[in-house]
Amino acid sequence: MRTAISTWQPLAPVVLAICLVAPWVRGAEPPATPGSAPAAVAAPAPAAAAGGSSSAPAPASDPAGEGGTRALDEQVQDLKQQVVDLNKDLFVLEEELLFPANTQVAVFLSMDVGAFFGLDSVTLRIDNREVINYLYTPRETAALLKGGVQRLYIGNLKAGTHELVALFGGKGPNDRDYRRGASIKFEKGVGAKYLELKISDRTRRQQPEFEIKDWE
Amino acid sequence: MIRCIGRCSLLALLLVLVQPATAAAAAVGELAPDFALPAATGGNVRLSEHRGEVVLLAFWSSRCAVCATQLSRLGDLQTTYRSAGLTTLAISVDDDISRAARFARAHPVRFPMLLDLRKGVSRAYGIERLPTTVLIDRRGRVRFLQSDEYGIDNSYVAQLRELLDDPL
Repeated sequence: MRTAISTWQPLAPVVLAICLVAPWVRGAEPPATPGSAPAAVAAPAPAAAAGGSSSAPAPASDPAGEGGTRALDEQVQDLKQQVVDLNKDLFVLEEELLFPANTQVAVFLSMDVGAFFGLDSVTLRIDNREVINYLYTPRETAALLKGGVQRLYIGNLKAGTHELVALFGGKGPNDRDYRRGASIKFEKGVGAKYLELKISDRTRRQQPEFEIKDWE
Repeated sequence: MIRCIGRCSLLALLLVLVQPATAAAAAVGELAPDFALPAATGGNVRLSEHRGEVVLLAFWSSRCAVCATQLSRLGDLQTTYRSAGLTTLAISVDDDISRAARFARAHPVRFPMLLDLRKGVSRAYGIERLPTTVLIDRRGRVRFLQSDEYGIDNSYVAQLRELLDDPL
């Protein structure tokens, strides 16, 4: 993923430029230029002049000034939202380009209960080639136990039969080191392929259970 | 004209040759490469989970004579500045996990001693000598990279405080 981020990093100035230009492109009114902005701020000046006093109210307590600041703040928030939306679109586009649906394979991981197994690491091998070795922090494990589903791997595979082997490492019953494996042979067709690694407790045997499900 | 073209092409060639070396070493100012490593005492630690804190990475080895002294000094820094948002992670580049674990047990410190057995992290940070420390700011950018056994002096602490004073 770091590689992907670094790929998009050079685009950041372009993205920012698009965001800045976007309102004009959509026909919205351009924001006030620094030269025209003081119109709102300058409004109380006649009032001060009418009073004939040099002790004019401070600009901070000026309602028009506050309104201008609020409008500017809204514009900044709007700009931030546009950048976030654009980033999301670029992320989706990146995924579509890097992992087209006809070759895409994604592996997800979920945990159910987890009383007999404390997850520490998962190693994935596809067709006898290690594709990922993921280490879990306590925070990540806690998130999985709360019902989170993690996309552990996404990659490309050509159509045909493939084998996925998952090796799970961690602490088993009685806090002992525990390593187990699970494998599945799956058929990759023309569409995207989704597989799920599911860790659950088998209460009757007081053992964890590792299962690989094929999402049709 | 021909001389000018020749000079330009020589310059371009030099730039091409020099670039990979500087790109590997000069991580300062760039986003710190994320990693997850096992700790000598068990469990794993991921760098990105400490975003928002100032992170001090200390690369060490059980074969490095001055590393123990430096780790002890870093332990004092961690105790002093923990409440200000400092997180110290010591990363071993030892090949022998048992040796590194023995060293970690013999030199107990109040921060995680991580084991980089595959050397992926030390390669990502371009570590060439030990001990080396890397300071990462609250935004996750590498700010200082120091390869000096006597590096934890007043100027180093001043750099660290500058980062701690910088709000997110």
